[in-house]
Amino acid sequence: MGTQRAPARRREAWLPYLLLAPGLLLLVGMLYPFFLGAYYSLTSYFLQYPHLFRFVWFDNYGKLLQDPLFGISLRFTIGYATVAVALQVILGLGVALLLNSRIAGRGVLRATMLMPLMMPPVITALMWKIMMAATGSGILNYLLSWIGVGPVNWLGSVDFAALSILIIDTWGNLPFVSLILLGGLQSLPYEPYEAALVDGASRWNVFRYITLPLLKPFIVLAATFRVMDALRIFDVIYATTVGGPADATMNLHMRAFWQAFQWYSMGMGMAYAMVLLLLVFIASYVLMGYWKRAAEHTTV
Amino acid sequence: MRERFAVSPTPMLWFRRALLALAVAALVAWTVFPFFWILLTSLKQPLDVIAAPPKIVFTPTAENYGALFIGQQRGLYASARPDFLRFFFNSIVISCGAVGLSLLAGIPASYALARYNFRFKEHLAFLFLSFRFAPFITFLIPLYILFQQTGLYNTYSGLILAYQLISLPFTVWMLRSFFMEIPLEVEEAAKIDGCSWWGVLTRIILPLSLPGMAVTLILGFMFCWNAFNYPLMLAGRQTFPVTVGAIQFISYEQVLWGQMAAASLVAVVPQLILSLFVQKYIVRGLTMGAIR
Repeated sequence: MGTQRAPARRREAWLPYLLLAPGLLLLVGMLYPFFLGAYYSLTSYFLQYPHLFRFVWFDNYGKLLQDPLFGISLRFTIGYATVAVALQVILGLGVALLLNSRIAGRGVLRATMLMPLMMPPVITALMWKIMMAATGSGILNYLLSWIGVGPVNWLGSVDFAALSILIIDTWGNLPFVSLILLGGLQSLPYEPYEAALVDGASRWNVFRYITLPLLKPFIVLAATFRVMDALRIFDVIYATTVGGPADATMNLHMRAFWQAFQWYSMGMGMAYAMVLLLLVFIASYVLMGYWKRAAEHTTV
Repeated sequence: MRERFAVSPTPMLWFRRALLALAVAALVAWTVFPFFWILLTSLKQPLDVIAAPPKIVFTPTAENYGALFIGQQRGLYASARPDFLRFFFNSIVISCGAVGLSLLAGIPASYALARYNFRFKEHLAFLFLSFRFAPFITFLIPLYILFQQTGLYNTYSGLILAYQLISLPFTVWMLRSFFMEIPLEVEEAAKIDGCSWWGVLTRIILPLSLPGMAVTLILGFMFCWNAFNYPLMLAGRQTFPVTVGAIQFISYEQVLWGQMAAASLVAVVPQLILSLFVQKYIVRGLTMGAIR
């Protein structure tokens, strides 16, 4: 018996690797440019001056630390991700609660929420760019003038550019958070609510001590995905402000892009990119751990 | 849940209902208004677009769409070259190619990750996942250099390869989550009946996961359609997809608002149609299969 099954089992042993081979091949193809890029971050690589190419160790990182725009873009990247995700989670929770209550046309409302979700972010940005026009033809300023606000120079002023990006990003991604949390709300068990009803708990207490803790894994999951995307937000900024005005919306991603494709300083560009990658890695490590812990205490 | 607490209508309850209705109205307006406004803008003459205050009532024109596809150049219309149709076609070719390649490589890989136990399995799965979170620029810069050197720059095949960074991790994780939903017993029964692993895969797994694969295909296509960063630098005028094509209406001299609005709407038509078919799976897709 054993001798008969041994060859079959041996065949089973290499089978997964065979199945993985095409995928692994592509994976290696993806890892190669990554390592090449990491290497470039240690070189003085200017696209137009190939003769300047030298291995310079950590010179790029040293220069980067002295660049005043590094601090600005780092602060913007972290600050933006924090504010955007906090706002979107809070608003998303509100929308999820709204969609979860018994209202007419809930299905239609949910389907409507999907529309911004599948839009290319760059198209979303262009749509809002039209609405945010600072001239008299901008519909957003026109609507705001009804309630006596404005006119606001949305994308053209240092004060409002970041807020404008935040609004555009939130329009596109609020449904993502809302729908995850709605799914969470609909999967919650009934028993704690019945117990709370018997005990005569107030609405707020039910929300605070039952709904919120049970929803935590979903909140952390939504926040994780949002943080990752907010840290590297590019499409919206590129289509609207390209990092300006006066670097008011310059994040690390945009800064790396400028270095590499405006000044063709590939080495510096990669150095910025690696710092951003490090930031993303730290954030994902922290959030993943948080998610695992949250998921352990409740049933997802 | 909330309705269990409901009693006969009281002023307080009416107030609450009014507040709820107001919130719903605000949410709908917030979500739908941009589409409505872009539709209006796309139907306006250039002078109507820049009219102050903004015009709600105007004589609609189809010339923005005409300029997009036929390239009219008369009167007030300064038009970009009519290559938007080409951009649209490029998007279809690149997205289909990228998703097709990802499925070919992803089906066996995700099956292995779903069903077999081997060393570094979870590490490997997470390596695939990590590409979902890595900043685009870390790949964009070396890919730009590599593509320039190898002649892949501004070619469909180069873009399809670059798009694997988007579609392959998604395909692997999504299909894996679908494969894991198929009960192990079904496979074991087939094996007892004398099916080889190949038979199990082609006769049991693939037919059973056909809906899942259709969902993965459609969502993967949509994610590729949305891509902007890679084609922005790796494609040229001949291979631009619609996302990059749409920003071509912004130039140093002027912004062709009407045509840009028309282009934006045309660019999202496939997304709006396709999302009808995969409504239930969009959140699952966006979370790489983490939420069912």
